[in-house]
Amino acid sequence: MRLFRCFNLLMCVGMCVAFATTLLAQNIAVLADHLYTMADGTQGAAGMVLVRDGKIEAVRNGPGQQAPDGYTALKAAFVTPGLIDADTTAGISGAYNIPADQDEDEATDPNTADVRTLDSFNPHERLLKVLNQYGVTTVQSAPGPRNPIAGRAGIFKTAGSEPATVEQLALRQESAMVFNLGETPKATYGKKEKAPSTRMKTAEIIRRALSDAKAYEEKWDKWKKDGSDISKQPSRDMKLDALLPVVDGKLPAIFNAYRADDIDTAIRIGSEFHLRYMLASVTEGYLMIDVIRRAGVPCLAGPVMQRFESLQTANATFESPAILKRAGIPIALMTGYETYVPKNRIVLFEAGIAAANGLGMEETLRTVTSSAANILGVDDRVGSLAPGKDADIALFDGDPFEYTSHVLAVLTSGQVSYQRK
Amino acid sequence: MRFRTLENGRLNLCLLWAVASIAFWVQPAAGQATVVIRGARVYPISGPPIEHGVLVVANGKIMAVGEEGKVKIPRGATVEEAAGKVVMPGIVDSHSHIGIIANPLAEDSGDANEGTGPIEPGLRALDAIDPADPNIRMATAGGVTTANIMPGSGNVMGGQTAYVKLRGNTIEQMLIPGTIGGMKMANGENPKHYGAKDKAPMTRMEEAALARGIYEKATQYKAKWDAYNKAVAAADKTAKQPDRDPDLEPVVEVLEGKRVVHNHTHRADDIMTAIRLSDEFHYRLVVQHGTESCLVVDELVKRHIPVSFTIVDSLGGKFETMNLDLGCPGMLERAGIRVALNTDDPITSSRLIIREAALAVRGGMSEEAALKGLTIYPAEMLDLGNRIGTLEPGKDADFIVLSGPPFSVYTHVLETWIEGQKVFDRSNPQDLRYATGGFDVANRFPASPRGGN
Repeated sequence: MRLFRCFNLLMCVGMCVAFATTLLAQNIAVLADHLYTMADGTQGAAGMVLVRDGKIEAVRNGPGQQAPDGYTALKAAFVTPGLIDADTTAGISGAYNIPADQDEDEATDPNTADVRTLDSFNPHERLLKVLNQYGVTTVQSAPGPRNPIAGRAGIFKTAGSEPATVEQLALRQESAMVFNLGETPKATYGKKEKAPSTRMKTAEIIRRALSDAKAYEEKWDKWKKDGSDISKQPSRDMKLDALLPVVDGKLPAIFNAYRADDIDTAIRIGSEFHLRYMLASVTEGYLMIDVIRRAGVPCLAGPVMQRFESLQTANATFESPAILKRAGIPIALMTGYETYVPKNRIVLFEAGIAAANGLGMEETLRTVTSSAANILGVDDRVGSLAPGKDADIALFDGDPFEYTSHVLAVLTSGQVSYQRK
Repeated sequence: MRFRTLENGRLNLCLLWAVASIAFWVQPAAGQATVVIRGARVYPISGPPIEHGVLVVANGKIMAVGEEGKVKIPRGATVEEAAGKVVMPGIVDSHSHIGIIANPLAEDSGDANEGTGPIEPGLRALDAIDPADPNIRMATAGGVTTANIMPGSGNVMGGQTAYVKLRGNTIEQMLIPGTIGGMKMANGENPKHYGAKDKAPMTRMEEAALARGIYEKATQYKAKWDAYNKAVAAADKTAKQPDRDPDLEPVVEVLEGKRVVHNHTHRADDIMTAIRLSDEFHYRLVVQHGTESCLVVDELVKRHIPVSFTIVDSLGGKFETMNLDLGCPGMLERAGIRVALNTDDPITSSRLIIREAALAVRGGMSEEAALKGLTIYPAEMLDLGNRIGTLEPGKDADFIVLSGPPFSVYTHVLETWIEGQKVFDRSNPQDLRYATGGFDVANRFPASPRGGN
């Protein structure tokens, strides 16, 4: 019996491997009436992208391209790189919205620097499939908004060969440390009569942790310098360990801030500790463009259609991405965290509203492809269609941002992860 | 903010009065000025689009609609050139919470759900609607001219809804004369929240039982009053007047067909429960949300029940929306069901109500049905089909001017008119902030280039 099971298992594994191999080995030619590579060069002209072994093999410009022998042809009016959502809770905040599938906020301690999205991420979450079907192939999935120090985000593909593991989907297992300012942390803990209950305390918790991380580093450096005597080794601290690369500028910090003065607080802390950082949400960022530009920080902006749920989002405007971009601030679009319906926003839709409100089609496309990849530091892999990059490609039957266009097919890592019936 | 608006309102009134006085001297016979919108592609909805159309409005009503050259332009009319633009009827939102769920939402500003009892037919949305709420102006920026403002879905019977035009400083000015509104009901997940407090309902069974209970009670109440009125008519002096019950009177109006039931219901079996109740008590039903209505399409067709559909950007957030499908509105259309597309504001923003219909088109609905789903169909669901919802002579002059094709993301609402008055003008920077957001910036950032008036 056991032998038989073993045999079955082996057969299964064998078939899976064979199946995966055929998928990987599939060569695809994507033919476009309007090809947006988002790499250098003109955009929107006819062209073809050749895909081999999960990577982009070549890009050929000009009309009348033919799929080479041995390549399966896919045709579309508009072809773009797979879209990137620069900051979302997809994968860790499930569609059912019940405790069983909500893993985005460890709201038991205002400092959870030691936690990672990686360890909550469910590769089989249904919302990831929804995102993928709208052409979103890469997400930076980040811990939710409740903790002043929320933990580490990761960057993941939204589809992989089955059965997928989080390791398989990860482009960066740890991409950034998330800090939250403004209303949510103080509302979370203030209600329980715990700290923080004010913006002052939120800032203090963050400053103390960063300052402790520096002291911790000095202690370890000194111990190493003094001969690494094991009996005198300082004790390890998981939270401070996690913050070390942040204070060293090796791991970027993301400050989630909505109100103008919260954005200012983020910049104040970022410059005090010489962090490599970016701003997220930035609802009132459009009122702070000089301050943001002077600080030289990129912005993850959005969601463009965010609700007026609280005072800190009361001044949200559809024009925010256009105003930030016009000011020369590098931006990527994000969808953030939703508590109700829709459980996850679609960055394609958010981008459409930005495009229609001053940013225009091509610039908007940049904010969800190449700019996003640059800001997140994954432009070696995704965000543009160029030889050697991952074959993450979205095919549309019209302007991608038009309400009535459709996604015809999506390639993720060279595999057809979605095809419209 | 509110005081500022009032002050401005007074100033505007003064100006209007001054202008009106002058007009009186110049043209004593004229009432409200005649306005002509000329050259736009006009969607009358009651007929095919008119390429180079003319719309004539006066005294708050539509006087004429037709092709340029075939419609007489009255002398002295104010003519607005609209070549390259699109004109269509003002949008009717058949499911909204503007003014009753405040913007921004603070803890004491949500008045949609009286979470203390699951059966509240005596509640009236009109007693909680704030006409100064910015969401109302934002809705006009989205092209909404008429809305069904409803209590929330936390109760089995949530209260009386209000049919309003989006204008005026008081709810009395907003209410559409002659309307009494609908009755909000809900089943499925939301009313079950009482279960957590060890109160009923905790299950869908109890939701239905509570609903049947109130209708049985109202049936009995109605019978008593009918008998009394009959006796009085027969000059029977011994007839004893029954006690009045303000909670049951609106339910009687439901039983008498004067009030439509707007039933929040998503899952197919919940929709069937709503239908079962309406069959049993013979009342008129509008399926609100109707996420899984495609699964019971035959039952809806059989009874001519319309669906007021809500589209959100992704499935989930709660169990009953897990099967959300953009294809559903189109499927309902092909089965012959009237479908309205609503906002459920603040669930989706009234500024983007056209987007709701556009996403239905993305899912396979025809553009024609989607336009009707923003205008005449929701108007009919509010029993207002003979007053609004199309551009036909004699109807209210509620219309919008768009910059381009209705269902393009790049199209903006340029102007919104209610009964011949322009209530939104995108070229006005203050109005623009209600279309894009940031209306409060002037108060908080007076020195900012975006904040100046």
